[in-house]
Amino acid sequence: MAKSDDCVHILQGLLVFGNVVIGMCGIALTAECIYVVSNPHGAYPLLKATENSDIHAAAWIGIFVGLALFALSILGIIAVIKASRTLLLVYIILMLITFAFEMASSITAATHQDSLTPNVFMKQMLERYQKSEPNNNSDNELTKTWDELMRQNHCCGVNGPSDWQEYTSAFRSTHSDADYPWPRACCVLDAKGLPVNLDGCKLGVSGYYNSNGCYDAISGPVNAHAWGVAWFGFAILCWTFCVLLGTMFYWSGIEY
Amino acid sequence: LPPPAARLPYVPQVSPMALLGKVTATTFALERPRCVFDGHADASDAVWLAVAFANASAAFRNPQCRAEVPPYKELLAARSYMTLETAAAAYSCSAPSPAALRVGGDTACGDQGTQDPCNGPLPSPGPYRVKFLLMGCGGPKAETRWSEPILLRTALSPSTIEAAPARPGSALVVTASILASLGAALAAAVLGALGVRGSLCHQGLGTGAFTRSSYRTHHIPPA
Repeated sequence: MAKSDDCVHILQGLLVFGNVVIGMCGIALTAECIYVVSNPHGAYPLLKATENSDIHAAAWIGIFVGLALFALSILGIIAVIKASRTLLLVYIILMLITFAFEMASSITAATHQDSLTPNVFMKQMLERYQKSEPNNNSDNELTKTWDELMRQNHCCGVNGPSDWQEYTSAFRSTHSDADYPWPRACCVLDAKGLPVNLDGCKLGVSGYYNSNGCYDAISGPVNAHAWGVAWFGFAILCWTFCVLLGTMFYWSGIEY
Repeated sequence: LPPPAARLPYVPQVSPMALLGKVTATTFALERPRCVFDGHADASDAVWLAVAFANASAAFRNPQCRAEVPPYKELLAARSYMTLETAAAAYSCSAPSPAALRVGGDTACGDQGTQDPCNGPLPSPGPYRVKFLLMGCGGPKAETRWSEPILLRTALSPSTIEAAPARPGSALVVTASILASLGAALAAAVLGALGVRGSLCHQGLGTGAFTRSSYRTHHIPPA
C-alpha cells in the first residue's frame, strides 16, 4: 500500500535525521568535556581545595558518552536503513545504557554548580589564606591563587573587604588589625605592586582599595563549565528520548 | 589657680564620611575638628585627644601640665590615656584637612624605645569615649564635650560560617525528575515493545513494504 510505504519512508527519514543530530551532538559533547577537563580556569586551586571535583567526574563521563553517542548513531542509521530487528535491538539497549550514564553526568554537574556557595569559599579563605605554618602545598597554592585573583580582578575577599573585619582568620593571627585591616592585595596597586595610598587603603577611602567581592570572578568560570556539561547533556537527552521512542515504534512494526 | 578649661560645645564623633575602615577591631577614625579651637588657641598650644573607657570618662581629670599626660601604656591600668598631640594651628579654619583622624594606627607603639605618648592600637572593643583637650604651657585651656560611646568591632570565628552546600535548587530538582521520568518512560516503552512484538507475531499484521510477504492459508476441508 502506497500510503504506508510513504509512512515508513518518512519514519526512516526522521530516524536517520535524528541519529545524525545525535552523532553531531555526541562529538560536540566530547569536545566540550575535553575542554573542561584540560582547561582549568584560574580559580581551579580553590575548587580543588573544596574537595569537590564532581565537575571533573561529570566531564570525564561526558567524554565517553559523547563518543558512544557518535558510534551508536552510526549503528542506528545502518540499522534503520537495513530494517534489521537485531541491529535495532542492540542499538536500543546500548542507547539506554548511554542514556543512563549521561543522566548521571548531567545531574552531577548540575549539583556541583549548586553546591558552590560563597560561604564555602569564604570559610576556606579565612581558614587558609596566608596560614603561617602551611601544612601542605595546597595552602601555599591557595594563598597565591587568592593574591592573583584579587590583583587581576580588582576585588577583595569573597563578598568584600569587610569579610576580613567580620571574621577572624589565619591572616589576622599574623597581621595586626591596625596595620592590615585587609590584605595588601586588596589595595589599589601601582605598576610596581605597591599600594597607591597605604593610609587611604587602611582607612577604606574609596578609590584606594578594591571594594568588590571576588565571588563573581570565581563562580563565573566555574558555572560556565558546569552549565556547559549539565545543560547541554540535558538537551541531548531530551532529543535522544524522542529518537529512541521513534526507533522503538519502528522496531515493533518490523516483521520477521 | 589657673582658670578651669573652657567647655566648647563641639562633640567629637566618628567620621561621617563613607570610609569602610572607620571602625575596625583596634582602631577608629574621628572627624577632624575644624575651626573648633579658633579664638582659644595660641600658636604654641597643642591639641590632645583624650581616650577613656566609656564607664571611666566621668572620672577623667584633665592633666595640669604635659608631664602629667597619661600615656598609652597606662591605658588598661588608668582606664584612659591621651594621644594625637597636634599643634593647634593644624585644626584652624584655614588649615588643609586630610580625611580623618585615625586613632590606633601606630603599631610600633608600645615597643621598646618608642616614646610615649603615641597612638597605639586599642586593646579591647571598648566602648570608648573621646574628647579633645587644648593644652597650653600653663595647663588645659579648653576642652570639647565627651563623644558618644564608640564600640569597636568584634570579629566572629570562621567556624560559625555555615559552609554546608545549600539545598538543591528547584531547577535541579525539576531537571532530575524530568530525566528520571524520561528514563522510566523509555524503559517502559522497551518492555512494552517487547511484549507487543510477541503478540504481533501471532496476529500477523502486515505493515507494507518492509514486511516479507505473509501467507494466509485457509484450510479447505475436502468437500
